[in-house]
Amino acid sequence: MHSGIESPPGVWWKPAHRAEKLWVAVAFGWCMVLFAMMPFWHLKGGQNPSGVRHTVDPQAFMARTQEFINSYQVGTEGGIPVVEPPAGSDIYLIGLMWSWRPVLRLQRGAQYTLHLSSLDVNHGFGLLPLNINFQVVPGYDYGLRVTPTEVGDFRIVCNEFCGIGHHLMVGRVIVVDGPAGGAPGAGGTP
Amino acid sequence: MSMHGVPRGITNPPPPIAPAAAAEAEVTHAGAQTPGTLVLVFVFLAAFALYYFVNWKLLSFIWRIG
Amino acid sequence: MNTFRTCPVTGLKVHAQADGLIKANAVVATVALLVGGIAAILVLLTRWQVVHLLPANWFYRLLTIHGMTMLIFFILFFEMAILYFASAVLLNSRVATPRLGWASFWLMVVGAVMVEWNMFAGKADVLFTSYVPLKANSWYYLGVILFAVGALLVVCIFFGTLVVAKREKTYTGSVPLVTFGAATAAIIAVITLGHGAAIYIPTYLWSLGLIKSVDAELYRLVWWGLGHSSQQINVAAMVSVWYLLGALTIGSVVLNEKVSRSAFVLYVLFISMASAHHLLVDPGFGPAWKVWNTSYAMYLAVLASMVHGFTVPAGLELGQRLRGLTKGLFEWLRKAPWDDPAFSSMIFSIIIFGFVGGITGVTFGTEQINIIAHNTLRVPGHFHATVVAGTALAFMGLTYYVIPLIFRKQVAFWPLAKIQPYLFAGGMLLFSVAMTFAGTFGVPRRHYDISFSQAPFDVEFSPAVDLVMAITAIGGLLAAVGGGIYILVTVWSVFFGKPLELGGKRV
Repeated sequence: MHSGIESPPGVWWKPAHRAEKLWVAVAFGWCMVLFAMMPFWHLKGGQNPSGVRHTVDPQAFMARTQEFINSYQVGTEGGIPVVEPPAGSDIYLIGLMWSWRPVLRLQRGAQYTLHLSSLDVNHGFGLLPLNINFQVVPGYDYGLRVTPTEVGDFRIVCNEFCGIGHHLMVGRVIVVDGPAGGAPGAGGTP
Repeated sequence: MSMHGVPRGITNPPPPIAPAAAAEAEVTHAGAQTPGTLVLVFVFLAAFALYYFVNWKLLSFIWRIG
Repeated sequence: MNTFRTCPVTGLKVHAQADGLIKANAVVATVALLVGGIAAILVLLTRWQVVHLLPANWFYRLLTIHGMTMLIFFILFFEMAILYFASAVLLNSRVATPRLGWASFWLMVVGAVMVEWNMFAGKADVLFTSYVPLKANSWYYLGVILFAVGALLVVCIFFGTLVVAKREKTYTGSVPLVTFGAATAAIIAVITLGHGAAIYIPTYLWSLGLIKSVDAELYRLVWWGLGHSSQQINVAAMVSVWYLLGALTIGSVVLNEKVSRSAFVLYVLFISMASAHHLLVDPGFGPAWKVWNTSYAMYLAVLASMVHGFTVPAGLELGQRLRGLTKGLFEWLRKAPWDDPAFSSMIFSIIIFGFVGGITGVTFGTEQINIIAHNTLRVPGHFHATVVAGTALAFMGLTYYVIPLIFRKQVAFWPLAKIQPYLFAGGMLLFSVAMTFAGTFGVPRRHYDISFSQAPFDVEFSPAVDLVMAITAIGGLLAAVGGGIYILVTVWSVFFGKPLELGGKRV
């Protein structure tokens, strides 16, 4: 019996004790569970970061977002345009130093393809209080197919450092019931 | 009270293991050689499984995303 | 130059150059710990909203300084010392090329000073990850590159010393397990520094205007090949130190060399691709790539950690049982030397690394669970449990043996030294767990002001967040006291300590 600072005597490639074999087998089995849960959730679960993904020129994405704002703008909040797109459509959100544009007004239960990108540097999309987090990278369009499951007045916090105004970057997503819209509630059953 | 000291492993290094005990340990293959550690690692595994599956549950509460 | 001394405790033959190089690297590591630690306290007192000490620019600056100084300079200088110890000292050998060792040391110091200078001067407010297109001053990137070259040279000297020791037959049979573990850390270091060169050199050229642009997503992919692999160096080094401290404190035994060494090899084989778990909610990669690279690769590295999680405590237990502590399930642990600060450091390192760091990290390293964790405080909550309460605490424990064995001094303020691991581990435990809770509520990391007092929209967190953030601050301050005691004890011992005496004789 020797310690870790002594050279092992003789041939050290020996069979393991039963306890070690048991633990290695159990740990390996657990690691297989860890692996299997991921494809399982792709098949049966409701949250996957797959999305529809493309590279994109930041200026082009900005222009596309502006076009989206022009098409569906219904107002302004905190100096940011508010848009109300139709259910099932492609919607656009851009992060730039230091704001999120536009404010989105969505319907509960409707699916949208939310295109996320940045005009300049990395930003972090953090939808609170749920919380839902994605990396927003300049040059990449992350088209996440999202379905809001509750009404509410949500906030988008930037959680990737993007310069001195990083902590001023707050966006907003309002989810309402039904196509005609109504006063957003403070919460609701999922 | 002296403000200086030296760890015990320096002043009283661990005594060598009695050859009889060492020889017996080599031969014994029972899993009961380290029962305390076996208990600890299974407690660890239980904690791991609990934390892990609670997180899947938490994930299931957010919006549908794909 | 080629003198040796014989250690009266271990019987090992210690090359004078090994002594010198270990001491130099350990001292600089401690200086880095002090700088990084002061930055930590200032960052903490700013994120604790009731104090909110610093203005925004200094917050982000000190956050950059804290990350770089701790995760690169403190840890790597200490690991250089470990490499010299695990090769020359444990194998009774001379250091292969001491002059190159000293040149590399100074190269690393120059690189570190360049980086620190630029950070403090506000020319690198880009955070530790320096994600492109954020841009720092060119000298910052050059400093990192020079430091990395120096470290790579020391890694080569480590391998060279292994060759020299083998050829000059300074030991018989296979190298000890601790040396083997250090060798796997060194191999991972080569992979790490290779990724580092691949990302920092183009970024440096871009900062000079010689390259037009660096793709932001490609940067993240390659940088995390450096970033995560460097953490695996820390894991391999930490586990090696666990085996080392087990041997020194209570004479723990190696249950099975095949099992322990195979687990170390798994770390080498499956680490580079595991960087993918930093990119799970990134737009540049598809689900198949993410699931494959974060799991088949990472989970074998996880398996390796779970194996060491058994063999290290089992070695402690068996060593104790063979020396007569056989009563019940845990007499071996109850009657262990809890007043030996190296022993208590090792135990807390094992427990907190595994239960808090390991479990949280593997969980949100799952492709989908990452959605509720990415860039929240869950991330620093996790990595303070792994690299601070795990690796750094193990290194602190080791220092209590380095001071008598290498510096040949007694440990000063011994009563404080004995409680230091309890304060540091306890503080870090509170800090990490509370921070993890805050992150579960969505509190962002790397963020100056979660009251959002000047933002266009208000953000309200659950009232529980104020409570857990306060606990985070208290835990962090407690750990800072523990860290401060460690620095006081080590600096005093090294420079003003009483020479070590064993059996009435000076050593």
